[in-house]
Amino acid sequence: MTPIEASGLHFSYGRAPVIDDVSLTLAPGEMLGVIGPNGSGKSTLMRLLSAVLRPSGGEIRVHGRPITSYSRRDLARAIAVVPQDTVIEFPFSVTEVVLMGRSPHLGGFAFEGDRDIDVARRAMQRTGVLELAERSIHELSGGERQRVILARALAQEADILLLDEPAAFLDIRHGVEIYDLLQTLQHEGRSILTVLHDLNLAALYCDRVALLKAGRLVRIGTPSEVITYAVLTEVYETEVYVDINDVTGAINVLPLSRVYRERLRR
Amino acid sequence: MKLSAPQSSNSPILQSSNSPTSYLTWRRFVAVNLLLATVLLVTIILASMIGSVHVDVWRALQAGIPNNTDRVILFETRLPRVLLAAIVGGALAAAGVALQGLMRNPLAEPHLIGVSGGAALGAVIAVIIGGRNTFTEASVLPLAAAAGALVSMAVIYRLSLVNGRLQPYVLLLSGVVYNAFAGALIMCVNAIADFYQAQGILFWLMGNLATQSYRLVATIGLYTLIGTGWLLLQTRQLNVLSLGEEGALQLGVDVDRTRRASFLGASFLVGAVVSVSGMIGFVGLIVPHVMRLILGADHRLLLPASLLAGATFLIWADTVARTALGVVEIPVGVVTALCGGPFFVYLLKREGRKVFG
Amino acid sequence: MPTLLLVTLHVFPLPCVAAEVQRIVSLAPSATETVFALGMGDKLVGVSVYCDYPPEAQRIDRVGNFLTPNIEAIVAKRPDVVIAVPSPGNQNPVEALQRLGLKVVVVEPNTIAEIEDSLVTIGRAIGREAQAHALVASIETRLAAIRARVAAAPPRKVLMVVGQTPLIAVGSGSFQDELIGMARGINLGAQAGGLWPHLSLEFVIAAAPEVIIDTTMGNEERTGAAAALQFWATFPTLPAVQQHRVYGYKEYQLLRPGPRLPEALESIAHFIQPERFENWRIGGFENPDRGARH
Repeated sequence: MTPIEASGLHFSYGRAPVIDDVSLTLAPGEMLGVIGPNGSGKSTLMRLLSAVLRPSGGEIRVHGRPITSYSRRDLARAIAVVPQDTVIEFPFSVTEVVLMGRSPHLGGFAFEGDRDIDVARRAMQRTGVLELAERSIHELSGGERQRVILARALAQEADILLLDEPAAFLDIRHGVEIYDLLQTLQHEGRSILTVLHDLNLAALYCDRVALLKAGRLVRIGTPSEVITYAVLTEVYETEVYVDINDVTGAINVLPLSRVYRERLRR
Repeated sequence: MKLSAPQSSNSPILQSSNSPTSYLTWRRFVAVNLLLATVLLVTIILASMIGSVHVDVWRALQAGIPNNTDRVILFETRLPRVLLAAIVGGALAAAGVALQGLMRNPLAEPHLIGVSGGAALGAVIAVIIGGRNTFTEASVLPLAAAAGALVSMAVIYRLSLVNGRLQPYVLLLSGVVYNAFAGALIMCVNAIADFYQAQGILFWLMGNLATQSYRLVATIGLYTLIGTGWLLLQTRQLNVLSLGEEGALQLGVDVDRTRRASFLGASFLVGAVVSVSGMIGFVGLIVPHVMRLILGADHRLLLPASLLAGATFLIWADTVARTALGVVEIPVGVVTALCGGPFFVYLLKREGRKVFG
Repeated sequence: MPTLLLVTLHVFPLPCVAAEVQRIVSLAPSATETVFALGMGDKLVGVSVYCDYPPEAQRIDRVGNFLTPNIEAIVAKRPDVVIAVPSPGNQNPVEALQRLGLKVVVVEPNTIAEIEDSLVTIGRAIGREAQAHALVASIETRLAAIRARVAAAPPRKVLMVVGQTPLIAVGSGSFQDELIGMARGINLGAQAGGLWPHLSLEFVIAAAPEVIIDTTMGNEERTGAAAALQFWATFPTLPAVQQHRVYGYKEYQLLRPGPRLPEALESIAHFIQPERFENWRIGGFENPDRGARH
């Protein structure tokens, strides 16, 4: 059962289309990266896939069923979303925020049970925020907050994860830790779609990469197929340096400063 | 049940500084509410014994004595008023919690949403049309105010629907604008009304608690219980709502339904009590805020706790209002403002120190 | 009239044999004066903070103000009867007192006819009905005497003012209006409509009152009578200002809807038709200086 199947998606806020005829699938157990220049519609795509927005054309299927046939709660049990940043006005504790991930499993007015606590605890452990459990969310740094939100998503026990720039506020170590964790989750059977800017990370971790530009899906394939000099310079409209790293064997994408770009031209 | 590493402290039921306890358990819910309810009960008893006239409590408790003015004063003049103060204070505080959750803003206040302005306008119109009859029939003004509240509820609700969904920003703006509009109309009416009517309008606007019949007190009490119960069902969703509209949707919360239900519950509560007692401010702002600082942000606990704390607060404020100057009364809205203002400044300074060092 | 109906609706029916009333609470100055006038002043156990006439009334315990009578204090006095006048804020307390089983008599003395009715109503409630009728008759007689005095006087345009900013005048439908009429005055405020109309300055200038009676100058005598007079000095076109017929009304408390109606009429008539009152005094009322003439 394909976790997510999107076909012919169209969406526009006003007149100009933000998503234009995009079709992609998320295969079981795969990590799919969505990359593209600013304004290419990556976040909008995330919103469509999590049913926050309704497409004006096309269809989305989750586990084979149309997304519209899911109740919100059922969908939240199938798909967990980690947004780029979350601003919380009220001084909830870290534990309380993570426990909100159990919401799809709880009824109207209910208190979390032992199992819910247990799931939350393990989620916090995996993202390394367990020792922050009793702190107020307002006291945390951006990176710590991001890991708490990820723990909350894990607490949902959904097997599809959608993430929007999960490493945005994290330093190198924590960023890698997050992606390592995602990879572990992937091996445990979860299907992961992540929007990201960092082309190196995309190349390093993703099984497949989808490249968007101006709302259209330009390329989809393995990193070595998509993250190439030709494709990138065309889509990002700037010169970049793409290479295979001798030590790691990974694809490296390096930006080129103007000085170097001049040199290259000669 | 603790989650963190062994060296962290026990989670107390009420904690000192500003760090919230870990999370809300059923036991904590019951314990806190029981404690607050007990405090409220004690307050009701104490406040009934305090007044501008000395009452022999022992004599008042004896049923058989004829012409027992002590008994009449305690049970027929003071107790209904104390109970009314409890209900009004509780309803305003509960509405405040719901609105702060709905607006995701700890500065939201029950009178913001325009329902009070509508109730005031209803009362004012009744004063003008009814002339002197409004001052001889005690039920005219509350009914007119209730009608005004209902109308404003419907209007503001309709105004806040954008593409069929309730938008908090629009709700806030609609409420503010409606209040301004109603306020302007009231001023205009006040200016052209005759002196007697203008006095009456002003008096109503100041907010006052009076000795009402037990029947009315019970009715408003019932409305408050219904409204609060209704809101209680939204509290878990209100928690999740603080993650943002998208975040809440993605967690399976029907955001629109939660917002509508919260608005309906809160405006119902506000309309019911404002119709009877005019505009009493600050309770719906200060009490939820203080409770949140003490108990944490979980709305499931915050709502009932604020109800009980608001009731207690307003009873004390009213006790001051009716005893401070002896035989002459201060409007209770004045007392809440006098308490609320400085307290709020103190709160702001404290938070500011925390944030800015 | 609807107000009469209201009055009768609120009065509790008396038992056939009226027990002697021993304890009375009055919530309005006019009612207090009436009770004293009917000879039951010593039975008053509670009055409002504004009750100051006769002087003995000032020694009686206060039970609240006009807007909010203090229910506890009233109940503690164990009154046999409570007399109330509707005010912008007291309908709840009055209703509460009725619910508690106290006998509450509500009177609405707006016009002179209603005042006289209220005197009788109060008289009946405190067991002094005969005296009340006699009092009414006496009032009628004295009013008639003053009216006779000014019967041949020329009608004068009068403006009686109870507030300067905003400018609030005595309108139509009140006993003050009737008194002005009785004194052969034309109440300019009555043309504006309403009981206490807010008048625009243009209206006042166009109406050109010949006599201005300003009660605010009465109580501002201690603090700012000069300033109050300044107000009128800014309208030099008014006949009243030109002829120096702007009167500050020091004893505006006379203007209560109670037993001192004749005194009130007399004082007003002195302002409006002073020529008729040189060397003339109403029986039993001695004070010649009823207000400074400016």
